[in-house]
Amino acid sequence: MTAEPGEIDDLTLVRRAQKEDMGAYDLLVRRYQERIYATVYHMTSNHEDANDLTQETFIKAFRALRTFKGDSSFYTWIYRIAVNKSINFLKQRKNRVQMSLNDMDVNAENDPDLVALVSEKTPRRDLNLAELQEKLNAALLRLSEHHRMVVTLHDIQGLSHEEIGHIMDCNIGTVRSRLFYARQQMQAYLSDYLK
Amino acid sequence: MNPDPNDFEALLKLMALKRHEQPPPGYFSRLPDTIAARLERGEGQLGFWETFMDHLTFRPAFVYSFSLAALGALTISVIYSVRVQPEESAQMAGNNSYSWQSAAPEQGLASPYDSSQPLHVANWMGSDNVSNPAPAMPSLFDTGAHGHPMPVSFAGSP
Repeated sequence: MTAEPGEIDDLTLVRRAQKEDMGAYDLLVRRYQERIYATVYHMTSNHEDANDLTQETFIKAFRALRTFKGDSSFYTWIYRIAVNKSINFLKQRKNRVQMSLNDMDVNAENDPDLVALVSEKTPRRDLNLAELQEKLNAALLRLSEHHRMVVTLHDIQGLSHEEIGHIMDCNIGTVRSRLFYARQQMQAYLSDYLK
Repeated sequence: MNPDPNDFEALLKLMALKRHEQPPPGYFSRLPDTIAARLERGEGQLGFWETFMDHLTFRPAFVYSFSLAALGALTISVIYSVRVQPEESAQMAGNNSYSWQSAAPEQGLASPYDSSQPLHVANWMGSDNVSNPAPAMPSLFDTGAHGHPMPVSFAGSP
């Protein structure tokens, strides 16, 4: 009896992928592609850039897989590659920011928190969701790369302070202080939408 | 009224909007195949330097051990150079007879100069007898009695 793909743990798949088992690596890609893509997308606010960086992250990870010894989880390890790639990319692209935002799913209009935020502003809900999306992304892009990364990983993706510390190679205190500062900055940029 | 700068509840609700942003339909079905195709084409091969940097990036223990080794090598080289220099200078200072004269052979030209003896310098004919000066050195342009140039000859020179 063979295990279902979803039941095989990361380390087993990694060991198989280290022996050039492309099927095992394909399972790892399918397992983490959405989270890696989301991280990079929220950092760049650009679908095309996020697509390129996600592919490069998985290609780089596969080539570097022999250096993975299992000291940390594969999840942390590949996140770290994505984070480094994103930050390096953004530093090179400085002052050449161009948003290419994804559409929102249908659930956005039914999210009670978002409905409350929008309905307080104007009855033209569709227009304001798009407007809010643009303002929110513009505010994120005004943060430094490290502050934006902490906000992305914690407030959008829901990672813990400890996980972020491992991924960004810093201590929890630094994560907390960066998060607090980034939220304050965001709050100031978006004050007109948070009344 | 501005929101409390330390109350992020409204901001966090607004941030939830980001979770609703989704890539085009079918994107995540195609992405693994795109990555597999690029890997099969051999893209992203790492060179020596990239592999080395990967060790630095992904393995902090490697960074620490590499840094310690580099620091140790630097410390040893500094200690060694500091220790060798005083030994050499002490050796040079302790040997009083060491001078430029001692390096020359005893009977050689570099023997110590005796100022009590007159200094004899040989003239162009090789004689150092100051009481018998050498004749004037013939010039290449000396002329004879008839005004013709004369060949230079050292025949009959003392």
